[in-house]
Amino acid sequence: MSIRPATIALVVFFALAMAVFGVFAPRFASPSNMEDLMGGFSFIAILAMGEAFPILTRGIDLSVGAIVALVGMVIFDMSLIFHVPGYIIVPSALAVGALAGAVNGALIVFVRLQPFIATLATLATYRGIVYAISGRQLVEGLTTTPIKDRWITGLETYFDIGRMLGIGKAVHLPAVPLSFLLMLGVFILLQAVLLLTKFGRSVLTLGGNAEAARLAGLNTGWITIVSYAISGTCAGLAGLLLVAKLTTSTESIGFGMELSAIAAAVIGGVSLAGGVGSMFGPALGAFLLGAILLGLTLLQVSQYLQQIVTGAILLAAVGYDRLLLLRRLRRRATSG
Amino acid sequence: MSLQTVAPRDSARVRLFQFLGPNALPIAIVVLCVVFAIAQPAFLTQDNLIGIVRQVVLVGIMATCTTFVIMTGGVDLSVGPVLAFGGLVAFFCLDAGWPLPLVIVAGTASGFAIGLVSGAIIAFAGLPPIIVTLAALSIVRGSALTIGGTDQHLINSWPDYTFIGSGTIFGIPFSIFIFAFVALVMIFVQKRTPLGLLVAAVGDNERAAYLSGHRTRLTKMLVYGISGFGAALAGIIQTSQVHTAIAIYGPFGTELDVIAAVVLGGTSIMGGRGSVARTLLGVFFLGIVNDGMNILNVSVDIQLIAKGAIIATALGLASWGR
Amino acid sequence: MTEPLIRGIGLTKVYGNLIALSDANISVMPGEVRALIGSNGAGKSTLIKILTGAVAPTLGRVEIAGDPAPLGDPREMIRRGVACIYQHSNLAPAMSVLDNIYLGRQPTSRVGFVDVKRQRREARELLERHGIELDLDASVGSLPTVKQKEVEIMKALALDARVILMDEPTGWLSSSEVGKLHATIRALKSRGVGIIYISHMLDEIFAVCDSMTIMRDGKVIAESAVADIDRPGVVHLMVGEKLARESEQAGQHKRQPKGHGEVRLSARNLTKHRVFTDVSFDLYAGEILCITGLIGAKRTELIRTLFGADRFDTGTLEIDGQRMSFSSPRGAIANGIGFVPEDRHREGLMLDLSMSENLAMATLSRFRTGILLSARRLAESGRRMIEALSIQPPDGSRPARLLSGGNQQKTLLGKWLNLSPRIIILDEPTVGVDVGAKAEIYAILRRERDRGAAVLVVSSDLEEVMTVADRVAVMVSGRLHESRNADDTDMSALVREIGSEAA
Repeated sequence: MSIRPATIALVVFFALAMAVFGVFAPRFASPSNMEDLMGGFSFIAILAMGEAFPILTRGIDLSVGAIVALVGMVIFDMSLIFHVPGYIIVPSALAVGALAGAVNGALIVFVRLQPFIATLATLATYRGIVYAISGRQLVEGLTTTPIKDRWITGLETYFDIGRMLGIGKAVHLPAVPLSFLLMLGVFILLQAVLLLTKFGRSVLTLGGNAEAARLAGLNTGWITIVSYAISGTCAGLAGLLLVAKLTTSTESIGFGMELSAIAAAVIGGVSLAGGVGSMFGPALGAFLLGAILLGLTLLQVSQYLQQIVTGAILLAAVGYDRLLLLRRLRRRATSG
Repeated sequence: MSLQTVAPRDSARVRLFQFLGPNALPIAIVVLCVVFAIAQPAFLTQDNLIGIVRQVVLVGIMATCTTFVIMTGGVDLSVGPVLAFGGLVAFFCLDAGWPLPLVIVAGTASGFAIGLVSGAIIAFAGLPPIIVTLAALSIVRGSALTIGGTDQHLINSWPDYTFIGSGTIFGIPFSIFIFAFVALVMIFVQKRTPLGLLVAAVGDNERAAYLSGHRTRLTKMLVYGISGFGAALAGIIQTSQVHTAIAIYGPFGTELDVIAAVVLGGTSIMGGRGSVARTLLGVFFLGIVNDGMNILNVSVDIQLIAKGAIIATALGLASWGR
Repeated sequence: MTEPLIRGIGLTKVYGNLIALSDANISVMPGEVRALIGSNGAGKSTLIKILTGAVAPTLGRVEIAGDPAPLGDPREMIRRGVACIYQHSNLAPAMSVLDNIYLGRQPTSRVGFVDVKRQRREARELLERHGIELDLDASVGSLPTVKQKEVEIMKALALDARVILMDEPTGWLSSSEVGKLHATIRALKSRGVGIIYISHMLDEIFAVCDSMTIMRDGKVIAESAVADIDRPGVVHLMVGEKLARESEQAGQHKRQPKGHGEVRLSARNLTKHRVFTDVSFDLYAGEILCITGLIGAKRTELIRTLFGADRFDTGTLEIDGQRMSFSSPRGAIANGIGFVPEDRHREGLMLDLSMSENLAMATLSRFRTGILLSARRLAESGRRMIEALSIQPPDGSRPARLLSGGNQQKTLLGKWLNLSPRIIILDEPTVGVDVGAKAEIYAILRRERDRGAAVLVVSSDLEEVMTVADRVAVMVSGRLHESRNADDTDMSALVREIGSEAA
């Protein structure tokens, strides 16, 4: 498995960003900021890794934000209205995410909708369902009731690794949030699936040449549905983490998150044309975005300017990727 | 290829699908009107019908102007922020005492310029439209917030300007006339000018269009400019309707409504043949659905679910019919 | 009496009210190479798709070694040893050669992980056994077309297929590469593999096939051992009386080397770094000059610089005595140069636009008054060109997608003819076009030539070159050899020259 130059560029850029902000932004290099980075952006990384699967099949998933909200509201209802214990809620949340994703896949495979359109439709539908099942509207007083279930709030724990490693007195290490560890787990799992299993190869084949995949006898429908289900499950996990952090859920969480997820994936080198990419890129892309946003905040750059910078970075990343591609093509043409 | 006919049993069903396909939307519109009228007679009043058209003016103008972008196989996710930006630019020009015509020109030109820049990056640097317009969405929104903050800028003392959005001629809102004018111009451009054919050609096979001697990159750039123009115009009308200009208008979801209207109208998201006239049908269809559901007091959640289901069903049927 | 490896019995396929295939029978014995011949629309592709399981027939059945096979199940057919090498690439360009060879069938360990070591080991054994050289880790998209074809062959061989179907396998190969392919086919024959060889190239069929099945209009109209029939006999059966005669006459036309003696295009020392070197030639009005050679000789790259689709680094190009340099096709078109590219789907036609629209695509300004485009005049012009070129069906409003390969190519040609070009350049003008349409296209080219145009044709089909050229030049590894009159040379001489400096 060769390392793509785009990935190397990403790592270099990330290191550069960390270094620059570390020097110029006050408190950027502090442990508490690192905790903010890990705690605040792990779930974006998870979303981005999940989003990468549909993109790898040459599709796209615009509904992940809505799925986050959907799962969030399901957790809210289950916990505060039906008082279901946490150890049932957690797997249920993931199941709801998987199901929501699978519906996307089914629309694409059986109703033969374009991925953009299918996930656009489910985006609207799931948001609608969120309103429909919203416990906040249905029952009095719940808007101010925090979720206390230990299985859920426990997701928002931080591990004092400094103390665990026994060097806490000497070096002040940031406390690692569980969400970060979960993100690492998701990374290892999905990367293994993508690179080592037949399913993973099939996903790359489908995105690389759908006709070839079909003629090779691959079950393209199944591959598509599972890819979107993975995206949905990751959205479900992200929803869990978000609810744990907020101890509640609202109808509008997840708004716009699909764009962040897509941006992180594309910055991470996943090609919108399908067939090219890994899990490493999206995850690092998410943290790159996070580092830049946090760094700019610490530099007292206004929120508005941050939006502009985020857009510019997205353009730069894609532009650079394209430059590399053109250079590769030119090299091939003159040597062939 | 030889054609020998087979038992007529199958061909009746094929003919039904062939008829339904392109005519599904007008039929659906008629059916819906009938259904809503029966369920709630107030639906058919002149007030309500005019209300529908007034509601769809904003999305309608944007959808009409964005149709070309989608025909070239692209997409413009930045229409929401451009709408806000256009409105803000108009406000600041008004505030600075510019005459009304100049204000309009400045506002729409700002949208056109933003579109041209996005279009140039897409056409000349070859970057994917989703990403470029996504970046533009962010950049323009940030810019709008920077120049306008989150304040509400009141537009009270310029009656000429507010006439645009709130005035009426013969009882029909002026904004509807603007919408009709823009729609007619765009339909004309699409059907009767070389640009219209070129846009379809570029969407169908850009490489072939280039090899046939056409300025494909310029064409692509231009269609994004038109889309930006439409969004800015919608922004001006909106600020004139509600007498305020705010940087957060055109919230997330606006661009999806616009794209949904175009796609429901039958233009494929993959590009190629398309029709501005059919986009209008899509716009009205969505407008009727929205209004009907409001009149029937359907709650927000069901409305959203219905919207999603409609998009899925309508387009699903369309792809099956093919 | 051995069982045929694969047998299709009574295969019929109906799409709506279109009968694509009617009661077709075909069988292949072990070690038999059977050609499948027929014009476009004869039903060959449908038959192949049924045999590979890509499509299920409306009626009929398929047997593999005597056992009935499930229909419409590509996976199952692959499992039973039926492999197909399609005309268009079926590889995933971003994945490695190794991954592509095992596309969809990676060997897995118990847990479902891909057993990469075993994959690599088996692949290396296969490469050695068949004497093919491939870099297993190269990304397929970066390989030249020839190598990609080899990957496709490896893919089929890795399946340990008993029956291999090859659909126009030599479309992009040169003579020596075709020879190599045929050697591989003979090796497979000796191991008892059965092959169905679909091709328009009668030379190849007579060289390597044992038997043939001829189709027309969705039916199998004849089967024969190759030894029992001759070329005219085959063409006769394929296209019926009228077109067969035209095709014969095609080889008997008078040649006009150097045309009327007026140089239209003059290239001197054209060089593009690492692509082609020092190319010089003259193209005369009223002649057809063919440039032939191996894939990799860079002929396409050369002519694209003549048209402005690409740029050369040094050298001069003169059109009618004036020095020119085109930075885009626009400039070339303005100077009366038309260019019919190799890949009509990717670079030539707009498939969802109508025939009339496609025909007018290079001459839109002619239908413009002010800012208006006259749809009426466009349709009228389309009608005239459709009639002039006998494009079927003669309905200008039909989307180009629905036409057969030959008619699509004629539409593409028509687009450029509308320009009344003074120079017309064609790149592989009859690839994927049936015999009847081929003859029509040659007639069109001759008409243009007689009208005074300068025609430049790049072709790998030596039969075509000898049929249509007034002068021939061979290009080898980026260098153009001296041209000669077509009357002064023949196919074997050309083959020798082409292979002379194989790089």
